[in-house]
Amino acid sequence: MAKEEVKEVAPDITCQEVAQWASAYLEEHVGDERKHQITVHLAICAGCETYMKQIAIVRDTVGLLPKWDEQPSDAHRLRQAFVAWVHRSPSGK
Amino acid sequence: MNVDTSLVTKSTHYLSGADRISVPCRIPTEGNRDNVLLARLRQGDEGAFAELVTRHHSALIRMAMGHVANREVAEEVVQDTWIAVIEGLERFEGRSSLRTWIFGILIHKAKDRGVREKRHVTFSSFEAVSDEGDEVIDPSRFHQTGEWAGHWALPPQPWDDQTPEKLLASQQAVNAMNRAIESLPQTLREVLTLRDIEGVEAKEVCEILKITETNLYVRLHRARERVRQTVETYMAGGSSAV
Repeated sequence: MAKEEVKEVAPDITCQEVAQWASAYLEEHVGDERKHQITVHLAICAGCETYMKQIAIVRDTVGLLPKWDEQPSDAHRLRQAFVAWVHRSPSGK
Repeated sequence: MNVDTSLVTKSTHYLSGADRISVPCRIPTEGNRDNVLLARLRQGDEGAFAELVTRHHSALIRMAMGHVANREVAEEVVQDTWIAVIEGLERFEGRSSLRTWIFGILIHKAKDRGVREKRHVTFSSFEAVSDEGDEVIDPSRFHQTGEWAGHWALPPQPWDDQTPEKLLASQQAVNAMNRAIESLPQTLREVLTLRDIEGVEAKEVCEILKITETNLYVRLHRARERVRQTVETYMAGGSSAV
């Protein structure tokens, strides 16, 4: 996966910066140096560790929300269009 | 509405992808499934077409709603998209995945329809969201000056290990999260829908939306943060406020 462009990374990182990088860090879209900075920061900062976990929980929970049980309002017309295409198509059977 | 909470592991680990909650739609063989489905479609298998529609219809509606005035119009746009998919199947060359191709058609049609209707859309969709500039997280939660500038003044309060199960088991929490997602500006809603809800790989999301990975993560984080705020309010017992 492509990572952030390598830029000069300041020696210290604030909680505000860690929080802003949270999703990129979780998806491993940060450069090695920044990743190291954030990892070290998370080890000593309970607030940022909590924040990072919460973003991970949100990421995983929205993927488990009950799916809308949607069907096309005019499914019959779609089915007919598909059948018509099959009859027209040289590869259709 | 039933939720299969057995999918939720005991706790959410945040660093290792392998430890993430198991999400059925994040199966890495999407490309293979696509190929099998495409072959069946081209053989005229009606069941394959029904399967394709079932798999993507909800996400297409969500995506379309970001561009057009209301749900009715969104349904029309998605219906037109399916017709275009049927008519284009013979020409589809497989340069992108089937899903990327379908979503590409949808976005093109939805944008076109939105422009024609002069975007009589909801306020949230108009909200200006740039990928730079505005703070993602409320700045007042951080010290602004002094030795601790940029560090938490109001750190988030920990949620317990059962949080995902609790959220998914509560209709109120589920509704609140859905409302938070629906009220996201379109550029944020579409990345969250594709990446976190549909489980589309980052690279494919960028292909569908024609954005860079850096833009993707900026938008994705803004979207997740807004949902996190909703959950934070709910977890703090302010469920009446969510």
